[in-house]
Amino acid sequence: MHLEWLRLLAPETIVVVTALIVLMADLTLFRQKPITFRAAVAGMIATLGCLIAIFWLEELSVSQKLGMLSLSPLTQMIKQAILALTIFTALISFSAKFTRHIGEYFALLLVATVGLLFLISSENLLMIFVSLELLSLSLYAMVAFNKASLASSEAALKYFLFGGMAAAFTLYGISLIYGLTGSLELPEIATKLSAQTATPALFLALVMTLIGFAFKLAAAPFHLWAPDAYQGAPTQIASFIASGSKIGSFFVLARILAVGFPQNTGSAAFCSWTSGWAPILALLAVISMLLGNIVAIMQSSVKRLLAYSAIAHGGYALLAFFGTGTRAMSALMFYVITYAITVLGAFAVVAMVENGSNREQMRDFAGLSRRAPVLSACMAVFMLSLAGIPPLAGFFGKFYVFTVALSGPQNLGLLWLVIVAISASAISLYYYLQVLKQIYVADVPAHPAPLDTNVIARGAIVVLAAAVVLMGCLPGPTLEKLATAMAKSIF
Amino acid sequence: MTPLTHYLIFSALLFCIGFAGAMMRRNAILVLIGIELMLNAANLNFIAFWRYGNTEAISGVMFTIFSIAIAAAEAAVGLALVIAIYRHRRTMQMDKFDTLKG
Repeated sequence: MHLEWLRLLAPETIVVVTALIVLMADLTLFRQKPITFRAAVAGMIATLGCLIAIFWLEELSVSQKLGMLSLSPLTQMIKQAILALTIFTALISFSAKFTRHIGEYFALLLVATVGLLFLISSENLLMIFVSLELLSLSLYAMVAFNKASLASSEAALKYFLFGGMAAAFTLYGISLIYGLTGSLELPEIATKLSAQTATPALFLALVMTLIGFAFKLAAAPFHLWAPDAYQGAPTQIASFIASGSKIGSFFVLARILAVGFPQNTGSAAFCSWTSGWAPILALLAVISMLLGNIVAIMQSSVKRLLAYSAIAHGGYALLAFFGTGTRAMSALMFYVITYAITVLGAFAVVAMVENGSNREQMRDFAGLSRRAPVLSACMAVFMLSLAGIPPLAGFFGKFYVFTVALSGPQNLGLLWLVIVAISASAISLYYYLQVLKQIYVADVPAHPAPLDTNVIARGAIVVLAAAVVLMGCLPGPTLEKLATAMAKSIF
Repeated sequence: MTPLTHYLIFSALLFCIGFAGAMMRRNAILVLIGIELMLNAANLNFIAFWRYGNTEAISGVMFTIFSIAIAAAEAAVGLALVIAIYRHRRTMQMDKFDTLKG
């Protein structure tokens, strides 16, 4: 039986072992080698480990409960997506210039990935909390990785203090849920709750738990850490926080609400509010969409702009929670995955332009199209996809999420929310085009800073851009894969 | 036996004191202490609920043990970050950390 468990948990084990190998190899064998060589070797090992885990996951499409974990084809698929994003993060870190501690960097990246993998499998509040903290603690340390930069440590400290506070809220909320139901298993919580009437204590517990997750998703008004952390962190790490960690947090939040609290939805329909988690999420979504998009307009730093855009995108994705059933879940996952790919690509382009310096202001992108046409074309794809321009993946993501929100049990009552979302999305086009204006219209400055010319990182960016175009032109296969995985899952 | 509500009121107070400390203190280490207080309030809740509920099922105690370990790890990372920023700034006052804004 234990061997069977080991087989089911092999992907996580493989990633942990890879993290240890990377750390050991870098600290012993390659210590004296030049830094670019060390980064390439460590990145290769990390990529290899993640690839093996992805292929292993392909074999494991079973629905099974495993102690505190619950595996299904859906969780396996989300895990594959996260591992793929980790690989791309590793690839764009090949030319990382912000640290000499290559081994520790890649080991922490892999440990954060393990936290995400467990987060996605777990259906127990204890396991969810432990893996969330594993993820967060690795990310705090990674944000502070550029020891020479004051901004990096400042960003990490702010991220840490907000994160710690959010974790305390979540823990307190979980303790109240435990007190009300006597259980930590999500399905059991749902059965216990269906037998009792909803008390104010339950809503207090729900709100406190949601605060913790809203922080993780950077939903306004719990977004204060996000712009600082994204701007101060080394760009490769910001890309991971915005992509992989976003997918994990959205998935686990959807799971908690759909499996643990299906009776306490409440209603966010216009003028017929009833208490539950839906009105809270509606409020978070509206504030995030408006604040994210409006404040993003005023930004001069591209990383900060992407941070505010991430807040806004978190708001759009929350709309999928108002739908029901597998359709809502697959819309949410399609949206979050396409968003993660796009934003990872956008951050990768920023990393190429800033090239180890801190120059990632709008004006540093001036005339990029003449200096690096391919990179600029990729950036155009990412920006237009984030804005939701039709043939690209971002458009279909938004489209599915909005239709799902309208087809939920409250029907057209949520129309107000979708109208806000669409107008917010129209505002967002302005600042995405500002970036493209700098790239395509502005003149090349007299002495432009040199770009990063790492071939592997550039290749990764092109692949990401191709994925965005492909998932936009042919969203069918991904959606179908999600739907079949969903149909075979217990979720 | 002391009724359960007393424990809950005490832990709620502890949580509020911790939260107030975390929000109002300007020194990074004191903010950290506030966060630890909040975490401990939640731990107290778990133990109280376990003691007054089904004492056979030990998930409440388990959670507390795990969360104490996590809080320790969090304090370690937090102090490391405080040292990292102290090296640059020679201060721990939060309002002096103003490089990032916009």
